[in-house]
Amino acid sequence: MSLVGPSGSGKSSLLRAVIGLQKPLAGTVDPGVKPSEIGMLFQDDALLPWKTARDNVALGLGFRGCAQKSALVQADYWLDRLGLAGFEHRYPRHLSGGQRKRVALAQVLAQMPKLLLMDEPFASLDAIVRARVIQDVASLVEEERISVLLVTHDLEEAISLSDRVYLLSQGPRARITQVYDVPIPRPRDPVKARVHPSFAPLYEKLWNDLSHEVAFDQRAEAAE
Amino acid sequence: MILTDPRFALLRQLTAFGLFLLIWEAAGRYELINPLFVPSPSRIGASLYELFADGRIWPHLEATFTAALVGLALGIIVGIVLGVVAALVPPIAELVEPVMTLLNAIPRVVLAPLFVIWLGIELASKIALAFILVAVVIFFTVYGGIRQVDRKLVERIVTLGGSRWDLVRHVYLPSVAAWVLGNLKVAVGFAFTGATVGEFVGASRGLGYLLSFAQSTYNAALMFALIFLMMVVVLLIFAAAGRLEKFLLRWQ
Repeated sequence: MSLVGPSGSGKSSLLRAVIGLQKPLAGTVDPGVKPSEIGMLFQDDALLPWKTARDNVALGLGFRGCAQKSALVQADYWLDRLGLAGFEHRYPRHLSGGQRKRVALAQVLAQMPKLLLMDEPFASLDAIVRARVIQDVASLVEEERISVLLVTHDLEEAISLSDRVYLLSQGPRARITQVYDVPIPRPRDPVKARVHPSFAPLYEKLWNDLSHEVAFDQRAEAAE
Repeated sequence: MILTDPRFALLRQLTAFGLFLLIWEAAGRYELINPLFVPSPSRIGASLYELFADGRIWPHLEATFTAALVGLALGIIVGIVLGVVAALVPPIAELVEPVMTLLNAIPRVVLAPLFVIWLGIELASKIALAFILVAVVIFFTVYGGIRQVDRKLVERIVTLGGSRWDLVRHVYLPSVAAWVLGNLKVAVGFAFTGATVGEFVGASRGLGYLLSFAQSTYNAALMFALIFLMMVVVLLIFAAAGRLEKFLLRWQ
């Protein structure tokens, strides 16, 4: 599912609270799975620059008690699955933006999370690389049956990837104002999903509602 | 082509240096400059040759090298440990940072006479001066560096399930290594400054001691020879440090 909303509505803060990087000011967060079963993909790939692609992927496995040798074997497996066979010994600096994003994805998926949090993970990629990475992510999370909570500003991305889209109102104290079910069947190719008959009407509705939220916020600001 | 092509930069620099030496030599031979103050390059070369020919220089080189390198190693180790601890444990920072700031505020070579009184004129006082010069620089490099470490990397380790020790091991220490290696040349310069100034103030051997001796006997040729020797030694160490930096920071 995806979370969309105006800037400042607290989308990223919500993800950070779910994974424990930030404490909520009030209330509790119940993600429904153990903290060790949650993975997070950030907008920046945040790979350790002094470690090779392989060592970066193996890193998280080591934290979970996996022996070094086994962690490296698994790292190779995940890099291979993400089309990075032959790039295992490259440092992040020597990889393209799309390749770095795939390494970051391999790093998270290697831990076999049940819930994957994604905070605008594709925003820094150019259009073609972005489409290809999104396709890979969609097919992998479907195959591995991983629940995904995606935060994005991109409505097309939200609809093409999700079964459900939540619209947040303007913050502070944002709330969910609308919930949209995406009737595009699975398995689904996120690129082809954009030409599904239900895509355009849903996009238009989502766009109108989001515009209303932003306009409402601007009116409130003007009144102050 | 040769005058502008970047590939011939070294050749141009060597040619310019050679010309400079020639002019200097000619000025000395035609008595345009007073050899008492500025001896000719050939006279300096002869002085340098004598130092090595009769083997007089070796104990002095050994003394300076030992003081500088031991001071450098101790300074790096203590600077890193204090920097890491201060950055990660705020109460320690409250104690250490003001002391380091004070030490950084003064020209630390003024401590040389004090070290001679406390530790004598042998090696220990020179090591102490080299150590204090290096440790302060490394401390601020590490302390400042850790506080500015990329938060995204820290959060990455946390979200992957890493512990505090994992953070130190996989983020802080590699970052520290990069900063220290980046400042290694500065630290080497400080270590030799400390050793030489210490010897200058009070010693029985070392390049600084020889410099002091040359000054007291008005032997400018020997002084120039020693300065040249120190330049060569430090440049060689710079080259070694550069290679080490290139190897260890190959990921950059």
